[in-house]
Formats: sequence, structure tokens, C-alpha cells
Amino acid sequence: MAKDILKIVIVDDNTDYLFTMKTFLSRNGFEVETAPDGQAGIELIKKERPDLILLDVMMETTFSGFEVCRQVRSDNELKKTPIIGITGMEDELGLKFDKYDDADYFSPDVFFDKPVDKDALLKKIKELIL
Amino acid sequence: MSDSNNTELMDLTFKSIIDALPCYIMIQDPEFNILFANHKFKSDFGDDIINVSCYSVLKGSRSQCTECPVRETFKDKKVHISEEIIRLSDGTIIEMIAYSAPLFDVVGNVKACIKLLVNVGTIKDTHRELVTLGQSIALLSHDIKNILEGLQGGAYVVEEGIKDKDMELSGKGWDIVKKNITEITGITQNILYSAKERKPKIKNVSPGDVARQTGQLFAEKSSYMGIQLLLQLNPKVPHVKLDPTGISRMLGNLIWNSLQACQKNTERNSHMVYVRVDFYDNRHFMFEVEDNASGMDKDTMKNLFKEFFSTKGNSGTGLGLMVVERIVRSHHGKIDVLTKPGKGSLFRIIFKLDHKKLDLV
Repeated sequence: MAKDILKIVIVDDNTDYLFTMKTFLSRNGFEVETAPDGQAGIELIKKERPDLILLDVMMETTFSGFEVCRQVRSDNELKKTPIIGITGMEDELGLKFDKYDDADYFSPDVFFDKPVDKDALLKKIKELIL
Repeated sequence: MSDSNNTELMDLTFKSIIDALPCYIMIQDPEFNILFANHKFKSDFGDDIINVSCYSVLKGSRSQCTECPVRETFKDKKVHISEEIIRLSDGTIIEMIAYSAPLFDVVGNVKACIKLLVNVGTIKDTHRELVTLGQSIALLSHDIKNILEGLQGGAYVVEEGIKDKDMELSGKGWDIVKKNITEITGITQNILYSAKERKPKIKNVSPGDVARQTGQLFAEKSSYMGIQLLLQLNPKVPHVKLDPTGISRMLGNLIWNSLQACQKNTERNSHMVYVRVDFYDNRHFMFEVEDNASGMDKDTMKNLFKEFFSTKGNSGTGLGLMVVERIVRSHHGKIDVLTKPGKGSLFRIIFKLDHKKLDLV
């Protein structure tokens, strides 16, 4: 049976961004939990078992988005959780993470570049988990 | 014209040409002693350099340089090129390209080497400026994009609050907007400061007043961030010659860095930033900005004052400390950084109480 309220965990080191996205997603019917760094993020993900993870790729913390993704993908109970990777770099540096060779190491289901188009993000979240 | 006259003229012309060349030319023996030097060389290093070693004259060293094109030329009889940093007798440091070529005797042995040094400082400076410009555009656009995201996000939260008549939510959104306005203001001011050399506008001011006024600019922000900002200003520090706008910008950058470092530090619940003005010794006074955030590691310390070096990820361009360094330099001051990983950092700026080199406007 499908859950009534779907849960999303957002991991980002920008606390303003966390607050904005939490406001946006809560107002669109999701239960939202947030973590300000990778270490807290992976702990929260293991505790909350969310339906989707919104993950900042390049966090300037000791535990990056790459590591969070690797840990989720290597956990049998979590590995199928959809991950949306948020990057600030695709258009600046021409990096395309979806072509990353080592899919086992770093494999979000989809990427969004900052600044995130909220409507497009919401549409993608619905596609992935509804 | 006779042959002997011709030779004399040619000798004179060659010597004039060598002396007129805007580079250093010298001839060295296998022990690296200078046998001949052109006029330009002698005018910058003195006349008493004949039979003195090259490394002693150019580097002030007692031992041979680890990399020496002349040594290589003596070894393999070929032309060698290297980059050298030379200190002139007046202390000026210049970057040079050195070429060395062999001078053969009649049987083909290298009897001496001719070394030519060309100042490439201007080219190097231009190169560095271009690299910096490239980095700055990339990093500033990244940073401004993040600020725009913050402004859009804050505005969205304000609107949602207005829609629901939830003033608390609107207030939180407005705080995000204000924080990002502060960020873009700081970046703009730092760009203006770093874009060109700005001559300080020196006035007779109280350093305590400058620190107090700058601290007041951050009172609301620090309170919102949950960080105590404490001013400890010794009222006995007299009026001194300073550019109050520059010093305020310097302190503002240091305070903002400390506040952000505290905000990022999750290992401690209570954070404090101290701003101090006090005597350093009987001829100097100092400004200090100290925090109890996470401190800095060796790599961060090493890169601290480099343009566009930042550890702040989405919230820093790295311009701030570069501007601090520039302002301190323009006041002939000195920066000391004391830090301990896990404990915090202290930036101490030391200035003379009576600086004769600074002219009042």
C-alpha cells in the first residue's frame, strides 16, 4: 500500500537553501527532513529511510555528497532510494555527472543544476516516487 | 679608412651596443666568477663585481645555486635557459630569464660562459593578472549565482508567508534576502577594492571609533546568527593616521569571515567573535579579530592571502583576505595569524602609532 505522505531528506551545507527547499516541498505535500552536512545526512537517511534524497554534490564539509551517495548505494536497504543530485557546476565547468563512468561510486538518478527550477524539480520528484 | 681604424670603431660599437642593451650580460669562468659585466649590470650591482662569484652578486649566497644554466653549459657545451629570481642591491626582487652560452677556446674547450639575463617581471605580472582574471570570472559568477539562488529562495519564502498571512515565515524569508544582499554588497565592495590600487585617504582618527562603528554594522547579523560579537577597545589608544574607510573594510572582512567560520562550526554550541583595539608595544597598536570556530589547517594557512582562495564553498570568493592584505600593505602594517585547529583563529593587524610615511589628505 502506498504511503500517505512521502518523505524527502535534503542534504546541503547552505542552511538558507535547506530552509527554502523545506518550505517549498512541505507546501507541496511532502514530509521533509534536512541535514547541513554529509555526516549528518547519512545518519538522517539511515534513520528516516526517506522515499527520495535531494543531495548537494559539492558540499564543503568533511563528508561530501559523493560519499553520501556511495554509502546509500552500498547499503542494501537504501540503495534503491532515488537520489537527485544538485550541482552548481554543470554549466560553469561543463561537467556532466550523468556521464560519470564509475556508476557504482556516484550514481544519482538525475541531476539538477543550481539555481534549481522549482517546478521542474517538483515534476521530477513526482515522476520518481509517485 | 684603414683596417686598424675600422677595428677600433667596431670594438667601440660592440661595447656601446652591449652597454646599451636593456638586460644584464656577463662572462663567467668555470668557478662562476664574473670576468666581464655590461654597464646595466654594473649600474644595478656596483662596479666591484669583477672576479666575484655570480651567486654571491645575484643571490647574496655563499654557495652555488641548485639550478644553474652556466654550470650545465660548462658540462655539455650547449645553450641553457632557466628562470631566476634576483634581488637588487636596493632590495627589489625581479624575475628574470637567464640564457647561458659557451665561449670556446681555439681547440674547442669551453673557456668561459656568457650569461644574459632578461627581466620578465612585467610579462609574468601580466600572465598572473590574466590567470587571476580567468579565475575571478569563474568564481565570481559561481558565487553570484549562489547569491541569486539565495535571493530567489528568500523571496519565495516571503511570498509564501504573505500568501498565508504567516509573518513569521515571511520574516525568515526576509532574513535570507537580507543576508544575500549583505553578501552581494560585500563582494561588490571587495571587487572595487581589488580591481585597482586605491590610494588610502589618510586621516587622523581613533582606531577604537573605527572598530566600534564597523562592529555596529555586524551587530544585527551576529545576533541573527546566534554569535556573540564582543568589542574590547582600549580607550587609551590615541588618534592615529589611518584610512578609516579602508580599515573599516579590512575589519569588516575579518569579522564577516569569523562569523561565517563560527556559523559553519558545528563542534561547539556557543560562538564568540572578539574585536579588539589595543597597544602592541610602545611604538605600535593593533586590531585583533578572534573567533572560537574550527581554526585552520596548514594548507589553508599557506593559501590564506592568495586571490580567490576560499574554504567557504558557496559563500566565499576568497577576495576578502586579499583585500585585507592589500589594505594592510597600503598602511605599511603587518598581519599575524594565530590559529589552532579545533580552537579558533586570531587575526592581528599591527600598525605604527606614528607613521611618517602616511600623508594626511
